[in-house]
Amino acid sequence: MRTLRRSPTGLKDAAVDLRGVTRLFGAAPALVRVDLAIERGEAVVLRGPNGAGKSTLLRIVATALSPTYGGGSVLGFDLAEAPEEIRRRSELLTHRTRLYEELTARENLELFADLLGIHHDLVHGALERMALADVADERVRTFSAGMRQKVAVARVIVRDPELLLLDEPTIGLDDAARTAVDEMMLHASREGRTLVIATHQAVALGLAARVVTLRDGYVEAGS
Amino acid sequence: MAAAAERVLGKATSRTGEHLLGIVTLVALGVSALFSLVVAPPDAVQGEVQRIMYVHVPAAWLAYLSFFVVFIASIAYLKTKKTRWDRVAAASAEIGVLFTSLAIVLGMLWGKPVWGTWWTWDPRLTTTAVLLLIYVAYLAIRRITDNPSRRARWAAVIGIVGFIDVPIVHLSVVWWRSLHQGPTVFRLGGPEIEGTMLLALLVAVAAFTIAYAYLMTLRLRVGRLEERAAREALSPLVGAER
Amino acid sequence: MTLAHQATLIARKDLLIEVRGRHAVGTLVPFAATVLVSFGFAFGPGRDLLERVAPGLLWMAVLFSAVMASRRAYQTESEDGALEGLLLAPIDKAAVFLGKAFAVTVELLALVVVVLLLVIVLFDLSVANPFLLLAAFVLGAIGLAAVGSLFGVVAESARTREAVFPLLVLPLVAPVLIAGVRATDLAAAGRSSEVLSWLGLLAAFDVVFLSVGVLVFGYLLED
Repeated sequence: MRTLRRSPTGLKDAAVDLRGVTRLFGAAPALVRVDLAIERGEAVVLRGPNGAGKSTLLRIVATALSPTYGGGSVLGFDLAEAPEEIRRRSELLTHRTRLYEELTARENLELFADLLGIHHDLVHGALERMALADVADERVRTFSAGMRQKVAVARVIVRDPELLLLDEPTIGLDDAARTAVDEMMLHASREGRTLVIATHQAVALGLAARVVTLRDGYVEAGS
Repeated sequence: MAAAAERVLGKATSRTGEHLLGIVTLVALGVSALFSLVVAPPDAVQGEVQRIMYVHVPAAWLAYLSFFVVFIASIAYLKTKKTRWDRVAAASAEIGVLFTSLAIVLGMLWGKPVWGTWWTWDPRLTTTAVLLLIYVAYLAIRRITDNPSRRARWAAVIGIVGFIDVPIVHLSVVWWRSLHQGPTVFRLGGPEIEGTMLLALLVAVAAFTIAYAYLMTLRLRVGRLEERAAREALSPLVGAER
Repeated sequence: MTLAHQATLIARKDLLIEVRGRHAVGTLVPFAATVLVSFGFAFGPGRDLLERVAPGLLWMAVLFSAVMASRRAYQTESEDGALEGLLLAPIDKAAVFLGKAFAVTVELLALVVVVLLLVIVLFDLSVANPFLLLAAFVLGAIGLAAVGSLFGVVAESARTREAVFPLLVLPLVAPVLIAGVRATDLAAAGRSSEVLSWLGLLAAFDVVFLSVGVLVFGYLLED
């Protein structure tokens, strides 16, 4: 499908600058002509009922999906032309943890670190911070959903990306895991990272400067 | 080069152009039939049966030409991301499947009286059979993928990989067959093709190629209509984005 | 971070998962053994015929196993969306292809050892020139793994994946089957010089498919 490439005008040094983004799955529209502008260091919450398009929007910003129409830039890089640069600087956290069952938590993180050229020391530190040090050498297959999410959060810590995209990251987690995610978000925000969070959680809402509401693929308010 | 192709496509795809091409096709096929059935002499060894060649060989030629078009259009699509190339590839694949099947069936019908058996793993027929399977896989992938951009991309990869594979398949079958030369080797073209027969064959190939072009313009027009219909269904939502 | 390094990391990860999950030993070997015994029932019990078709049966078993192994290579990626993790990692996507192809090749070769022993026992396959025989299997395994690892992505994401993956792979690897069986036949009979041209064909197939795979794999992975 053709993507409409327009150079983003408007925000200089924008973290996210999407224009007219439409995404179709087959004939069904998930997002329709969405504009979204987010400054660096901002924390934005996405709200909306199920099926509103929040996940799709986050995945497009993460470059896991490409828009059917429209386009834009993330962290100064065009979605269509330089997705790898965006991937290098952002991390998407969803309930799908993207971990390998047969590898240990440490091995999962170290593989990730090796692929990105990050030193293993950071892995050790992240595991400590997430209180995973004693289970670090057990296979992920034995972990509960909450523990897996903590490993995913550890991955974010190892990564320390400029842009954090979180899609309902605390759904179905126990209190310890939820607290870990909240702490990670607060810490990242304090450090000046840009956050886009789809959630109903109070902590994130308290953190956010702005709320964007989606409904049926349209931006209803707050863009 | 691309601009010239677009101009030709533009002319051919107007309705009058299409009708004209249709008439030319009919005439060409008529002339070809005349040459094949009347002008060309029967084969010295095989007799009248050999006239199947005048349909079998052009069909086989088109089977490979269609796939070549799929190959080029697939590369063009991956490079430019323009859906027009995906449409061309899909259209050529559909037409190609028909001609490939025709070539194989005619090959078998020709082989039975000449070789005494339906199938002898003749290198060219065998390669054409593999080509048919690759076509079928190409169309199957298109059918089961509902996301249009993914469908186009995956199909394009198969179109490219499949086309590159075909010469390798042919080479391996030729070597494979050369181990088992039968007592007599009947090349489907006959031991020699004398002058008039060659002329009739060339006329047939030309006529079929024109028919291919006509079928392509028809199928492309349908493809464009399908796409326009899909877009119009969405336009209240999406607006006039192209 | 070179392509080779990234591919090695991915191959190592795949093989580690394989060793721990013991899928190859647990499923592929019994499957291949069952196929061979079934062939025995179908074409036996006369040893003459079985001896003559042994190379073909051997390669059929390897071929079916290659389809299974390639599909399996991508099933581990669907656990919790790991494949998307590879897409989002700022690595060369071709590294994923090469890494997986290498891992599948190793698995197939391990399988070949077992299957070869079975065929020698069940079907009286003689092995006059083991070195050339091995070469044929190495080159053949690479070719099968390359095609399987290329289209395995499709098998994992498409809806009716079960039917379409073998339909894609089997026609494309026809040259491997033809060349492999011929080479095995000739190597078993000790006709070394003729084997070399078939090995050349296999090598050419491998080079072509690995190169093309490197070029187009990214298109299959993106959405």
